[in-house]
Amino acid sequence: MPAAEAVFRQEFAVKGGDFAKAGVVACRIKELLKDLGLNAAAIRRAAIAAYEAEMNVIMYAWEGRIDLAVSPGEVHITVDDRGPGIVDVELAMTEGYSTATPEMRELGFGAGMGLPNIKRNSDVLHIDSRTGEGTRLKIVILTNGHGTT
Amino acid sequence: MNTKNAHAIHITKDKCIGCVHCLSVCPTRAIRVKDGKATIIDELCIDCGECLRVCPHEAVHSHTTSFAALDVFAYKVAIPSTVLYGQFGTAVLPNEILSALRRIGFDEVYDLSSICELNCAATEEYLNEHPRPRPYITSTCPVVVRLVQQRYPSLCGQILPIEPPREIAAKILRTILPKAVGVPADKIGIIHLTPCPAKMVSINSPATLAKSYLDGAISIRDIYSQILSSLRKSEEDALMRHLFPETQFSGIGMGWSLSGGETRGLKAHRAVAVSGIQDTMRVLDQVEAGLLQDIDLLECTVCPDGCVGGPLEVENRFLAKSRILELVAAAGEHAVVDHKDVSRLYHKNFLSFDHPVSAVESRPLDHDPTKAIRKAKRREKIFADLPRKDCGVCGAPDCRTLADDIVRGYAHLEDCPFVKNKKEKR
Repeated sequence: MPAAEAVFRQEFAVKGGDFAKAGVVACRIKELLKDLGLNAAAIRRAAIAAYEAEMNVIMYAWEGRIDLAVSPGEVHITVDDRGPGIVDVELAMTEGYSTATPEMRELGFGAGMGLPNIKRNSDVLHIDSRTGEGTRLKIVILTNGHGTT
Repeated sequence: MNTKNAHAIHITKDKCIGCVHCLSVCPTRAIRVKDGKATIIDELCIDCGECLRVCPHEAVHSHTTSFAALDVFAYKVAIPSTVLYGQFGTAVLPNEILSALRRIGFDEVYDLSSICELNCAATEEYLNEHPRPRPYITSTCPVVVRLVQQRYPSLCGQILPIEPPREIAAKILRTILPKAVGVPADKIGIIHLTPCPAKMVSINSPATLAKSYLDGAISIRDIYSQILSSLRKSEEDALMRHLFPETQFSGIGMGWSLSGGETRGLKAHRAVAVSGIQDTMRVLDQVEAGLLQDIDLLECTVCPDGCVGGPLEVENRFLAKSRILELVAAAGEHAVVDHKDVSRLYHKNFLSFDHPVSAVESRPLDHDPTKAIRKAKRREKIFADLPRKDCGVCGAPDCRTLADDIVRGYAHLEDCPFVKNKKEKR
């Protein structure tokens, strides 16, 4: 990340269990990236990654914070939550593995694609989790220059 | 594409008193009040007609084709939206409405329900042949197509590339009529009758065709009284039409104008229907976030309840819907289209788009990324100082949009009455 004055930052709060607001932060991030003139492919990847990360906080954590930082070449999305943490990160990265409750699945969530989907749509994904305390996700998406394509 | 004046929605300055009704309902925040009059930002307007519905002063009007303008054609053909069948109460049958249109001056009138059924069969075939991506989005609602081009550019490739019934019908008629009636093609006028202002835009600057097959669109509201008086004068004719109907209506296509009607005939695919502009945007946001991939086809119509809720109809939409449901029930599962014929047309690419839907250029704060970042930061600072009452007095629909307008150079901080008041008190 370049010097602070060349970076646009915004923070969003996410409440655990607040399914009614599912996707609101990801949408806001998408709109911001459009205003910043990122190309459509980068915006879509960032929107998907942000959505999955936001849903993880809503589904599993008590509360969380999503920090967006955009410089001309990179989008950083950092998600910090207070929650149960991920016991086995490697297992959680497996497609289809999920600890979602039957209620969540009934709502169409918890297919076990969250983290793998973030990985697929980002260039760097770093997961730091402490059981019983919380999780920090660092997501980086390289924007490959700006444009409208 | 001609973007200048391509819109169907316009403001009559003389009638506009500069109130804020239209500001707050515009889903793309395309309206500003400047010097006491509402103005529409062309590049943001999607012609949904929400402003037209709420304006208390009839200052918002839509440019549709006038009946008199059809005089340039030697042979006039009407293809009314099936919404028209729901406009005249329960005693009037579709066949009577079609013959009333003939009496008021159309040389030929064609029912669209059979073409709707055809479209559905072609859609099914397309979905069979294209297992990915999911969901596909139907293209019938021109506002949805425009919305995708503008706000959901990454979904352009998910619009199912089969032309909507009105264009398919006009294309078929263009192919067969010149020979059949002995009139040169350019002297035949094919006109859609519609409750939708955006159809005019899709005719004047089509998103997926080199040129529309239609010559114009008449608003149901404009032609309603002529049809009604013709219906009243012809009870004898009505009796004959009851006894000897000449058009076979499709049970599958009859309910096309109701939300869910486009997908009702699908046999082997999972479809979801969404109506209303806010819900449509909510669902498209979800699709863009990668959800709904277990759905094959997403039918979106921005009018409430589907085209039957179009702003240019006359009957209230609940009565119109109830009438159309009666007609759907009466027609049952009656099919009038041979799937083998549809398949042949489909494989000739007769039903396809001329070209795919393409994104319209986005509107970043600045084309220079460093400047865009600087402006976004300034915008947040300005927004933090605004009262967040979204009163509209400044002329922008809400405080966030005012902050955006200021950094783009279209407005001033002092346009906000609260900020101005505070400064003056100091």
